[in-house]
Amino acid sequence: MQLDNTRFGTIEYQDGDVVTLPEGMVGFPQWTRFVLVQTREGSPFRWLQSVEDPSLAFLLADPSAYCPEYAPEVPDAAARALALTEETPCLLLVTAAIPRGRPEDMTLNLAAPVVINLKTRVGAQVILENEAYTMKHRVFEQAPQTASTKAA
Amino acid sequence: MLVLTRKVHQSIIVGDDIEIVVLDVRGEQVRLGIKAPKDVVVHRKEVYEQIQEENRRSAGVNPEDLPG
Repeated sequence: MQLDNTRFGTIEYQDGDVVTLPEGMVGFPQWTRFVLVQTREGSPFRWLQSVEDPSLAFLLADPSAYCPEYAPEVPDAAARALALTEETPCLLLVTAAIPRGRPEDMTLNLAAPVVINLKTRVGAQVILENEAYTMKHRVFEQAPQTASTKAA
Repeated sequence: MLVLTRKVHQSIIVGDDIEIVVLDVRGEQVRLGIKAPKDVVVHRKEVYEQIQEENRRSAGVNPEDLPG
C-alpha cells in the first residue's frame, strides 16, 4: 500500500506494518491506524505516521536512548487492555517535542508513554499513575548563557 | 451540561457503573471519590490537556530538527 503526501513523501507499507491505537493518541481519538517510520538507521526516533491522515505524524523516541533509568510501570488496566504479559514482546516509546530549529530544547513526555503489543500490533498512550514523571523532560543540558558564548 | 448540586457524602451515577461521591469540602477544595470499572480511565482534566498539548507539539516537529 502507498501513502502519499506525508512529510516524508510517499511511504510504502504492508497491512502487517499497521499499528492500531483503538483510543488514538490523547486528544486525537479519531486517528487509530498508524505505521512506525524510522527515517535514519540506528536512530532512537520513530514517527507514528497516521495512514488515515498523511499530514499527521507524532514524533516518538525510544526513551532508553536518553533516560536509561526510566522504567515506568504500566498500570494493570492498561496492561490488561493491551493483553500484555511478562513475556509479550512490546515497544515503549515516548512523544518528543522539538521547537522549530532548536533540537537542543527537545523534551520528552515521560508521563504518558505509547505502549505497543508487538504480537497483536495494538497499542495505547498510557497515562502513568506515578505523577513523579514529567511531561517535559529536557534531554540536553541547558547551555549557560553568557555574552561571549551565546550563539549568533 | 447537566448541573447537579450535591452535599457532602452524596453521589452521582454516570451510566451503569460509574459513581462519583463528594467526600468532603474544605474551603475551595472539593474531594471527590470515583468508583469505576478498572478499564475506565479517570484523570484530572489539566493532566489530559497537558498531554494533548505535548502530543500536538510532537506532531508539529520538523523532521529536519531531529538531533544526531
